Amino acid sequence: MKKLFNTKTQDGKMFIALGAITVILLVCCVAPIGIYNKHIIIQTMFYAYMATAWNLMCGYTGRLSLGHSAYIAVAAYTSLILFRSFDLTPWIGMLLGGVVAMALMLVIAFPCFRFGLKGPYFTLSSIAVMEITRYLLTSMRELTGGSLGMSLPYQKDNLLMFQFDDKEPYLIIILIFWLAAIFLLWKMERTRYYLEAIREDDDAAAALGISVNKNLIKAALLSAFLVALGGTFYVQYYRYVDPATICGSTMALNLALITIIGGSGTILGPTIGAVLVIPVTEILRSNLGDKLSGLHLFIYGILLIVMIIYMPKGIISIPGIIKRKRMAKLANPAGGEHNG
Amino acid sequence: MIGLQILASGILLGGIYALISVGLNLIFGVIKVVNMAHGDFLMLGMYAAYFLFTGLAISPYVSAIIIFPVFMVIGYVVFRLVVKPLLGKAETETNTILATSGLQFVLQNLVLMLFTADYRAIQLEGGATSFNIGGVMLSANRTWAFLICLILAVALYYILMHTRLGAQVRAVSQDRDASVLMGINVDRIYALTFCVGVAMVGLAGAIILPVFSAYPTVGTFFSTSSFVVVVLGGLGSFTGALLGGLIIGIVETAAGVFASTELAQVFSLLVFLIVLFVRPQGLLGKGARV
Repeated sequence: MKKLFNTKTQDGKMFIALGAITVILLVCCVAPIGIYNKHIIIQTMFYAYMATAWNLMCGYTGRLSLGHSAYIAVAAYTSLILFRSFDLTPWIGMLLGGVVAMALMLVIAFPCFRFGLKGPYFTLSSIAVMEITRYLLTSMRELTGGSLGMSLPYQKDNLLMFQFDDKEPYLIIILIFWLAAIFLLWKMERTRYYLEAIREDDDAAAALGISVNKNLIKAALLSAFLVALGGTFYVQYYRYVDPATICGSTMALNLALITIIGGSGTILGPTIGAVLVIPVTEILRSNLGDKLSGLHLFIYGILLIVMIIYMPKGIISIPGIIKRKRMAKLANPAGGEHNG
Repeated sequence: MIGLQILASGILLGGIYALISVGLNLIFGVIKVVNMAHGDFLMLGMYAAYFLFTGLAISPYVSAIIIFPVFMVIGYVVFRLVVKPLLGKAETETNTILATSGLQFVLQNLVLMLFTADYRAIQLEGGATSFNIGGVMLSANRTWAFLICLILAVALYYILMHTRLGAQVRAVSQDRDASVLMGINVDRIYALTFCVGVAMVGLAGAIILPVFSAYPTVGTFFSTSSFVVVVLGGLGSFTGALLGGLIIGIVETAAGVFASTELAQVFSLLVFLIVLFVRPQGLLGKGARV
């Protein structure tokens, strides 16, 4: 316990950061800040959670998936269809959706890692899986409602059926999801180091006795399962789902953008990214959406390009950069520019 | 008879796919960068040709000639601002994918804000006619697109194989470092390749405008098709992309006849995945696994 509250250790810092965010959100829950602001907070936490899950695979392993929408979509549709057809509670549907998403991920990840697909080839195959999933969801009209999408039948406040009239329960649920994901990532310390080693050089990692494929598939399956839970949350919160939105490249790229702005391959990077990006774009979208629809995505695009070029390690790297600059100055007070 | 018709329509569609993907292939082959915004330059070319047609009554086949140099300039600007800063740094491959994905957002939504999401199509005089060759019907617009693809392919092939510049481009694509040592200005070749790649797809946009309507996200569909075509033929292999285009054209036409157009897409994407797993260098590509 003493270790957790010690601000000097990594664990302590993490514990305090998580505690602070949890307290702030719980205060927001009871504070009279209006439905719209609560909606923005829920969205921010939703994307923080989803990007954390994306980062677990893509940030740590360097295998860039721009097709994660596929796993979100199959899970969302699984739990929704089970609910509509068999009245199955989404709490169980969510887990089944996670299993379906993991199965889909296994079908693609196993051959990808087995055949050593990396770089652009891996990214292209992830996009192909997303496109196939979207075409199938669109073409199976009887089951999925086709491109018109499908809505969630309304039931009054019902914890068992994962439906609420107020925003607060959703906020608490997504907060729990997020805490669980962060906690999981935090506790996977050894796997995290393995994945980083694989990202830097998988041959060297294999030579050191790290099982490359096993660790990659572990990260991929976990990532698919976590975004799948988010897919069900998405359906229960928005009460509507259609293939173009949930299984499109915008959703997948959003996760990448948020992670990169915050700092990919770090535990809290995606959360920082979501907190910085989502409220601003959400406000932009709701105020200018009718006049200039697409403005928020336009800004996303510019942000992504600027970040990749000037700060590929994300906002989270700023303290490190400042520290390094200061150290350089201390070492060579005459002029820092010669340090290169 | 239906077999012949599928073959003919498939070859025409394949020609269009090949025309669209030539630029992507060139850029990947030489700079080793995947341009995710490839289809969006196609979309820009379609819009340019659309406004030249509706505003100044210039036929898309003529405006293609105007669009080519204009898109070379656009390509140069994009190269300097987005691609060049990432070359030669850590994780160039994934970073360029992400940066050009950002560019995709920028271009699509810029067009959406300027011109709304309306579908824009043009009708050329006599464009709806077909040639009847021994009972096989060939759509006039698609035939022109196919012929232009052939001409461009031959021209590009000639430049690559029989000019000094082409030799430099091939040298850079085979071994960047050795090319530097031989005194080739690699930066210049990279910039030029990117410009020509973008200009080729802009031109393709004009050529296909009589066949497909333009809207802000039309590029996403053609981006995916281009990736399929190029990977199938072999990333960086020039004749491979032509072959890939024809195969995908025929497969999609056949699947469209016997199943549905959506399943045709699924089918060609499955072919794509299998090729990626089994033979990532493509049918005609020589390069080692990346």
